[in-house]
Amino acid sequence: MTRRTGFSLLVLGLVAAIVVATLLSVGIGAVPVGVAECWGIIVNHVFPGAVEPTWTAAQEQIVWTYRLPRALLALLVGAGLAVVGAVLQAIVRNPLADPFLLGVSSGASFGAVVVLIAGPTVLGGLSLPTAAFLGALLALALVYALAQRGGRLIPARLVLAGVALAYLFQALYSFVLQQAQSGRAAQQVLFWLMGSLGAARWENLPLPAGVMIVGLAVLLVQHRGLNALTAGEETALSLGIPVHLFRAQLFVITSLLVGVMVAATGAIAFVGLIVPHVARMLVGADHRRMLPVTALLGAVFLQLVDLAARTISAPQELALSIVTAVFGVPFFLWLLRRRA
Amino acid sequence: MKLTVAGVRVELDGRPIVQGADLEVGEGELVGLIGPNGCGKSTLLRSVYRALRPTTGLIAVDGDELVRLPSREAARRVAVVPQETPDDLDFTVAEVVHMGRTPHKRALDRTTRDDERICADALTRTGMAHAADRRYAVLSGGEKQRVLIARALAQRSGLLLLDEPTSHLDIRHQLEVLHLVRELEVSTLAVLHDLNQAATYCDRLYVMSAGRIIAGGPPADVLTAELIGEVFGVRAAPVRLNGSLGFVFDRLP
Repeated sequence: MTRRTGFSLLVLGLVAAIVVATLLSVGIGAVPVGVAECWGIIVNHVFPGAVEPTWTAAQEQIVWTYRLPRALLALLVGAGLAVVGAVLQAIVRNPLADPFLLGVSSGASFGAVVVLIAGPTVLGGLSLPTAAFLGALLALALVYALAQRGGRLIPARLVLAGVALAYLFQALYSFVLQQAQSGRAAQQVLFWLMGSLGAARWENLPLPAGVMIVGLAVLLVQHRGLNALTAGEETALSLGIPVHLFRAQLFVITSLLVGVMVAATGAIAFVGLIVPHVARMLVGADHRRMLPVTALLGAVFLQLVDLAARTISAPQELALSIVTAVFGVPFFLWLLRRRA
Repeated sequence: MKLTVAGVRVELDGRPIVQGADLEVGEGELVGLIGPNGCGKSTLLRSVYRALRPTTGLIAVDGDELVRLPSREAARRVAVVPQETPDDLDFTVAEVVHMGRTPHKRALDRTTRDDERICADALTRTGMAHAADRRYAVLSGGEKQRVLIARALAQRSGLLLLDEPTSHLDIRHQLEVLHLVRELEVSTLAVLHDLNQAATYCDRLYVMSAGRIIAGGPPADVLTAELIGEVFGVRAAPVRLNGSLGFVFDRLP
């Protein structure tokens, strides 16, 4: 089997896995709906009257109104976190980089916490996603200012500035949480901070979906530049990549994506760290193959993680970061030992 | 392809590292740049591939000043084998060579048959065609260097820059790499450490000392015991072996 057909088969397999995981995810829950029914409900909404209904109106409402937008958001955010992780690992040339390294997700969380705790009136009626996004932008501007010298982004400084600001924003939102009057609100915030897709509805899907699809498309076509950066700054320069500009552009795009994702789902750990490593094990480091595989794998992974988070201790829902950590950390340690 | 460097001065953090360098590389020439550690030869080379910007002076390829060209265009004229390439790059040999096509591609361009042919050709010329599907990280130092030269060839630029291409290689691989570069017949400027090898393989040599180019010309004219003593601080005794020029070295008394 040639490398090319191997890659095509892998992509086909992952697309199939996405479809299966999504159907499982919309079918399983407090009200179970069979896979065939799920499929029928979705098809009927896209092509009205195409399938004779074999399901109840309640099932249809649960699948279409609640579970499907949630499943779609899981796919988008899973792909987004994973690709952003892969790109950041190339920008800072550090395999441990992930979206949280930038401090951007902590900034977003801070913005969100302020609105959740103090109520929307404090910041002039800002919605939670907007506040999270503004927090992300603030962190982005600070990290960028700290990590550059003479307009050039310095990778080592980017890591240090990101980590330092992440701690600062964590301290700030912890303070806000501690000062919170209502324990219930604080608990709600904590849950959200660790990632949840529970807020997904059709009406709040278009913005994150639009930003993610455009952002991912832009990142996916940067494979040559990312490969060159992986080979070193001097090599990238000698291959005609304007390294400083390129790095700055990628940093801004990835930060905006992180801001949008944190606003939509809270902070979901580990996806951006682990998935790119798995993709590299499957298809090597060439970003031309690695980025699409990373996106598809991330989508499947988060879909399954959300399914697990909803079902493991039902009716209680687990925060996504708990599940990603339980699967992610042992895997990561195994990866480290295998490499050594 | 012809490289002209005229009156180039490069400063790092305000300190002048290269102060007024002039050199030329003519069509098909292999030109060596030699000098003691810290004399500024790598800095000069880096300013030719635009990793550093000279404060004054001119660097031009075929009459076009490089700093005025867009980066992609400059990379189509000048290819580099830098010193710093990570040892554990997680790419296959073919993937590393394909990087050389980067300056010829826009974001949405696909890899064409032409690209495949050019990369395969580059691997053949460097004797690495058999290793196309192997992982770069597991190759020996000499093989890695050949692959990086193949990448530079795949760039199809008229000028090749090599920054100490033989460092970290054992003597056999040093000679093989230099022989390969010699056979390529591409205009090449190489920073070299070994004076005997520089004398054997280069058409012309430039000698740098304390940021200045102090001598240039055919090896036999440039490399004299006096100059080596003055620049490198060693005693050099000329020897002739199989008709080629060489030296044995000793510490100065």
